[in-house]
Amino acid sequence: MSMPNEKHVDVFGATLTRRGFVKAGGALCVGFGLAGRLPAATPKNTLDPTLPGSWIEIHPDNTILIRTGKSDFGQSTTFTAYRQIVAEELSVPFEAITTVVMGDTDRTPDGSGAFDFLGRGTPNIRKAAAYTYQALLDQASERLRVPRNELSTKDGVFSGRGKRISYGDLVKGRQLKLTIPVTGDLTNLMGLTVTGNPPMKPVSQYTVIGQSYKNSVTASKVAAREQWATDVRLPGLMHARMVHPKTLGSTLVSAGALDKTRFPNSQVIVKGNLVGVVAPTEWEAIRAAQQVAAATKWSEWKGLPGDANLFTHLRESSDWKATPVMKSDKTRGEVAPALANASKKLTATYQMPFMKHAPIGPTMAVADVQAGGEVHIYTHNQNPQALRGEIAQMLGITTDRIVVRSFAGPGHYGRSNGGNAGAEDEAVILSKAVGSPVRVQWMREEDFQWSTQSPAAFSDVEIALDANGKIAAYQVDHYMPAMQDDRPVGAILAGLPTMPAPNEKAEFIGSTANSLQDPWIYDGVPVLLERGHGTYQVGEKASPLGIGLRDHSMRTPGQFQQNFPRELAISEAAALAGADAIQFRIDHATEERAIGVLKAVREASGWQTRPSPANPVSTGDKPARGRGVSVMFRSGTYWACVCEIAVTPSTGAIQVEKYTVAVDPGIIVNPMQLKRQVEGGAVMGISHALLEEAKFDESAITARDWQTYPILKMADIPEIKVVLLNRPEVGSYGGGSEAANALAAPAIAAALFDATGKIARRLPLKADYVQTLLKA
Amino acid sequence: MATIVVNGVRREVPSPGDTPLLYVLRNDLELSGPQFGCGMAQCGSCSVLLDGKEIRSCITPLSAASGKEVTTLEGLGARWAQQKGLPKAEAERTLHPVQQAWIEEQTPLCGFCQNGMMIKATELLERVATPTVAQIKEAFTTSGPSAHLCRCGSYTAIIEAVQHAATIMAKAR
Repeated sequence: MSMPNEKHVDVFGATLTRRGFVKAGGALCVGFGLAGRLPAATPKNTLDPTLPGSWIEIHPDNTILIRTGKSDFGQSTTFTAYRQIVAEELSVPFEAITTVVMGDTDRTPDGSGAFDFLGRGTPNIRKAAAYTYQALLDQASERLRVPRNELSTKDGVFSGRGKRISYGDLVKGRQLKLTIPVTGDLTNLMGLTVTGNPPMKPVSQYTVIGQSYKNSVTASKVAAREQWATDVRLPGLMHARMVHPKTLGSTLVSAGALDKTRFPNSQVIVKGNLVGVVAPTEWEAIRAAQQVAAATKWSEWKGLPGDANLFTHLRESSDWKATPVMKSDKTRGEVAPALANASKKLTATYQMPFMKHAPIGPTMAVADVQAGGEVHIYTHNQNPQALRGEIAQMLGITTDRIVVRSFAGPGHYGRSNGGNAGAEDEAVILSKAVGSPVRVQWMREEDFQWSTQSPAAFSDVEIALDANGKIAAYQVDHYMPAMQDDRPVGAILAGLPTMPAPNEKAEFIGSTANSLQDPWIYDGVPVLLERGHGTYQVGEKASPLGIGLRDHSMRTPGQFQQNFPRELAISEAAALAGADAIQFRIDHATEERAIGVLKAVREASGWQTRPSPANPVSTGDKPARGRGVSVMFRSGTYWACVCEIAVTPSTGAIQVEKYTVAVDPGIIVNPMQLKRQVEGGAVMGISHALLEEAKFDESAITARDWQTYPILKMADIPEIKVVLLNRPEVGSYGGGSEAANALAAPAIAAALFDATGKIARRLPLKADYVQTLLKA
Repeated sequence: MATIVVNGVRREVPSPGDTPLLYVLRNDLELSGPQFGCGMAQCGSCSVLLDGKEIRSCITPLSAASGKEVTTLEGLGARWAQQKGLPKAEAERTLHPVQQAWIEEQTPLCGFCQNGMMIKATELLERVATPTVAQIKEAFTTSGPSAHLCRCGSYTAIIEAVQHAATIMAKAR
């Protein structure tokens, strides 16, 4: 419906609406219209209906506000790269973007998760800015009576034919609303996507992208001015601790009685198998929950294989037939004859353990279920819109009655990108039960034992070499249980509605299908077969709770599980061919950027061209040294890494001495922030490779703290050398927050082989495993 | 009511004496620097200075802080200002060189552990003016009840920031 004084203007498929003139203020707001759908489908804003779900607002004082559904989890992207991208498309200084609003479901527009921020080169915010610029250009042309093509822009001012007007003056006294086209579902994992093709600024004209701007939130965190999710305090707030079941399949026999003489102000809430203790102070909640836990009885359950039997269980006792087998789109040629005619052949199996995301702070959330049924959740979550959908389903209400507000918190590394990290739904259930706001904080042990994990996996690889030592055929079968279980665990325990557990009938999200995640980069290989086999989560169907070992995507998800086998196998094949591991890769790659990162890492690391293993191999207490390489393509970015290690044969202890990585993301948006991301990923990757495995017995995860789930300490980090390759000609910006954590494992295993001649095909490379391997 | 001195100010707090100092600082005094990471003195996210020594507030009872000076992340600037004899107006605007260096070096990733990292860095730099990389690694790995853990992997940036802070502090001498 149009107001009588409204005007509508088409802007490359977007619609600019002008609502007359206003006496004070004015703004250009960029909202969205769902393509091919009624606007009524747009979820309402319930906290403040006057706030538009607007990507970009331009104000009369020339300041700009941006909004995004994506929250910062340590990537810095929303505060640096997003500002730079918007500033670049609008031709304004970086500093003009004074406010970034992110992750609040009632006042950010696009949903989706804190992953793939750069949208493989064209994030929503870039297109939103590009549409905005075109709308501003139209306005300037009309106001100045100068044709569009005679106007130029600098620092937020249009000029042409001797006339000038700033963006602020263009919007002053006017209400302009630009409606841009989008598709998708707000509360779905992927959220909304901006469609259409507005003209974008040529890369050759970039001035803001490529500069090392600082992250504004860093100063706020460092000076203790940031409001963290952990700081949220509401009037009447109650503290809660959970009493989770004894095992991942135990049902409640009887909840322990509360000792009212010791804890007069506490109460126990029981709903199905969910038990929580609520108290006015945090310390009372902790002690009361401990007392109740000790008196609570659970059924026994032993439905897990135990970590020692994991891979036997996966291979022999798991159903790999119900889920369709996935094949990569690069599959070509007939593998059977090629393998049969091999001059030399590698046949090997590689194994990856369950790993924990292990945020440094356990999950917590504050929920306020109000008397009228409105639900407000205050938390730190990678996908607040998806959380909103999950809570609506759990409570049987519509999403417009739920608001999720996002605050700073510990990195989750993917654990909450499907909408929940653990505490959110439990806080809602408890708040509803007690009628006041409730803060649920998991303890360290619960965060290890009741959260999801990165799924274990194994892969069977066969490589045929021809008489010239080139790969004639490559075949791999990847096996991995379902990776994305987004069911809120509190809802499961309470017997409330959730989405189904991952299954073979689900499409994309929630499917047990094991898709091919590691893009093949050795296009010189003539015969290729890559298959992915999926199954149900370990123990889930055997658990009376339907829980078992729940899995969730973790930084470089799925690709880590598939790249470790591939890259270690390629290093082994190179050795079998008597070839240098980097040159062997270059000889089989055809993509120029893949070859580019390999050459860059070879030069930067001082790599000596020779076959592995090094000769002679040392033994005993004298450290043996070796080097290994790995390569990956992820989210528009090429990566290659060289790890140099020292291993003490008598103890099996590995020290990574140097980690060199070459990164080609195409256009580098912010070199300093990218470097910090890569360094962090490198450290996490060495931790994964050397230390991390979520141990479990027949009943539960047995990791419970930082001693039973150790991560890398400062004393154990190597020298880290990051080589950034800026390639504007690529025309898009690739991601930088993932991949680095997956590169270390195959490179370190290859380095161990180089140093000792022994191949370790199972992670982690703990000292006792390596020691046993070297004695064999 | 117990009385403790936090960031130079005497504060009355309602918590019983066995309450871990962390919950007193966060809930009674509404300070946001120290964070709950493990509750077992295994990670360092909750660190504060107690009479200048880094302690883990998650396992230190309130009663153990009585009669001693507690300094949190919020109080580092004032601590530096006092050490340098800066006037009060300036003191309120001052960040500790450790905090300045953490910003200059863009050290935090998620930042949740960095409270403890900056507390540890302050303790180290008050003791050793220009620590070597080995001394920095020792301070953050083996000197306390546990290593200070960073899950995002910011250790390289921390080492660079400690060295940068040492330079800023040396210039102020």
